Amino acid sequence: MSHLNMAQIQELKDVMEEAFGDLVMTYLQDSEQKLKALKKSINANDAKQIADLAHSLKGASANICAENLSALLKKVEDFGRADELNQVPYVFEQIQTEFRCVKTELQQLK
Amino acid sequence: MEARPLNILVADDNQSDRMILCAIVKKMGHQVCEAADGNEAVDQYMQQKPDIILLDVIMPNLNGQEAARAIKTLAGEDMVPIIFLTSLQEASDLAACLESGGDDFISKPYNKIILQAKISAFGRMLKMHNTLQSQRDVIRENNDHMRHEQEVAKAVYDNVAHSGCLDLPNIKHMLSPFSIFNGDVLLAARKPSGSIHILLGDFTGHGLPAAIGAMPLAEIFYGMTAKGFLMADILREINLKLKKILPVGYFCCTCMASLSFRRQELEVWMGGLPDFAIYRKASNKVEHVKSSHLPLGVLSTQAFDTKSQSFDFLPGDKFYMWSDGIIESRNADSELFGEDRLFSVFEQYPNEKYFDRILSEVNKFVGESGRDDDTTLLELTMVDESVIGKVDIDLSSGAITGPANWNMTYTLRDDTLRTFNPLPVMLNILNDVPAMRNISGQLYTLMAELFSNAFEHGVLGLSSELKKTADGFAEYYNLRTKALETLNNDYVKFEFDLTPTQGGGCLTITVEDSGKGFDYTNINLKSEENVAYSGRGIPLIYSLCDSLTYLDKGNKVKVSLSWQTQLEE
Repeated sequence: MSHLNMAQIQELKDVMEEAFGDLVMTYLQDSEQKLKALKKSINANDAKQIADLAHSLKGASANICAENLSALLKKVEDFGRADELNQVPYVFEQIQTEFRCVKTELQQLK
Repeated sequence: MEARPLNILVADDNQSDRMILCAIVKKMGHQVCEAADGNEAVDQYMQQKPDIILLDVIMPNLNGQEAARAIKTLAGEDMVPIIFLTSLQEASDLAACLESGGDDFISKPYNKIILQAKISAFGRMLKMHNTLQSQRDVIRENNDHMRHEQEVAKAVYDNVAHSGCLDLPNIKHMLSPFSIFNGDVLLAARKPSGSIHILLGDFTGHGLPAAIGAMPLAEIFYGMTAKGFLMADILREINLKLKKILPVGYFCCTCMASLSFRRQELEVWMGGLPDFAIYRKASNKVEHVKSSHLPLGVLSTQAFDTKSQSFDFLPGDKFYMWSDGIIESRNADSELFGEDRLFSVFEQYPNEKYFDRILSEVNKFVGESGRDDDTTLLELTMVDESVIGKVDIDLSSGAITGPANWNMTYTLRDDTLRTFNPLPVMLNILNDVPAMRNISGQLYTLMAELFSNAFEHGVLGLSSELKKTADGFAEYYNLRTKALETLNNDYVKFEFDLTPTQGGGCLTITVEDSGKGFDYTNINLKSEENVAYSGRGIPLIYSLCDSLTYLDKGNKVKVSLSWQTQLEE
């Protein structure tokens, strides 16, 4: 099963045309940075920061057609908003795995 | 679908999101500028003045809602649609976005078709808004302009229409504050003799067309009253002026009254107005005064009738004039106040101060149902002349004397004689002299006789004796047609000479023709038996003027007319 919504990604490629490669690169760089920051916030138990970063990553991932990743990030955002951080490290593990898959698929698409 | 490319600001802290949005917007043919947080969005708004803003909600520094508030404040009256970019789901979060000044949402992931449709919709709304705004600006500008013009017009109008003596102690009046725009005119002035002239006019229509006729009306009223002209002369002059300047269908319902202290009499001319009232102090009774004429500005001078009604007017008697605004006042049930109710005020309240009573009854009737003060009311009381004092005539008021000292010759030659009737042209010029207008019928007959004598009998040499039998009549016109063809260097020459005299004037008309004349040595100007003179209507002419003289070989006749201007009653 693909980690990307393939119908949507085709539409996105049509919109972006030759800039699609740049978009993928930008998304990956930006997301890697934000994931690092998210990890720090989780370690620091900073619920507000966790929620905001997850929110931003969630939106960007949805836009790049990574639906599973976006859904996982929403979980973290919701935990952060509710200040219930117990399960966050566990979900974050899943996010990192999912992100690696998305990255692989996106790089193949370029 | 797109009318013109729009300038669109994309504000999102997430670079990849921004790239996608920019790509979609550019694909639609619009221009894009970008901002990475709320502060940048506000800066970009000020620099780029974008048409539409796509604004992310959660951004560092200044968030989307704060940025929206700042931008809407800066925009003022300009319309800047803000579409929030959000993945928020909570209803309360979405509502907060709208409250901060947002106009719509689009949620992540962006759907290209929905985003494009929303941008297009706001583009149309923006275009409509701009059209409305510029039309509103034009309307506002025109309105300011119009209001200014009306203020100036009102100032001029007040100078002209209210410079009279409405403030005399025996006159009470209330003039509708809308008078300039509802066509009501109220004028009062004193004659050199001390009498008072009062005029209430109600022009057809409203607004400027109604106000315009009031100017010449007031000018003539004051000018001629100050010079002592009779009411009949003033009405004739106003009628002529209004007939000349007002478009068809516009006229002035008028009541003019002349109060004579010496004769204790009120003379009233009324045209086209509802009944007015005279209150008799002695009997405590009220008389109706009715209109007996058409409004001013309808009839020609010839058809115009200046006949007025006379009423005894003893000390304490009162004359009431009102505009139809009083009769047409409506109560909450849209009922009219009406003439019956108005006259019953006099019966209900004997020995009252009717001026105040009428106003209070109308107020009571109308109640709170949107009173518009569209009422003009005047009360004129007969008092001893000493109460109001001597006349202070302002001799600088407009001159209505017309040309008084001039000479003119008018010569008609062959072709013109054959085809052209010169009478209207000449009468038109003579009618510029006010005294001539009183006798314009007489003048027409005189001129027609003089011209026919000079042309038919003088130039063409025809005898009206022929016209006495049916056969002769036909022969007369036969001869006339032949004679017309043989015109050669023929002419009829009119000379008019108008000179002022003490308190009046004198008009001399000399008519010369190219005919061979006739022997006038034994002429009897008064006899009907002047057969020998080709049937010239000499007795008729003589009866119309003060003197008649034939000159030279009988081809030249000189008549004169003189008059005294009627000033005092």
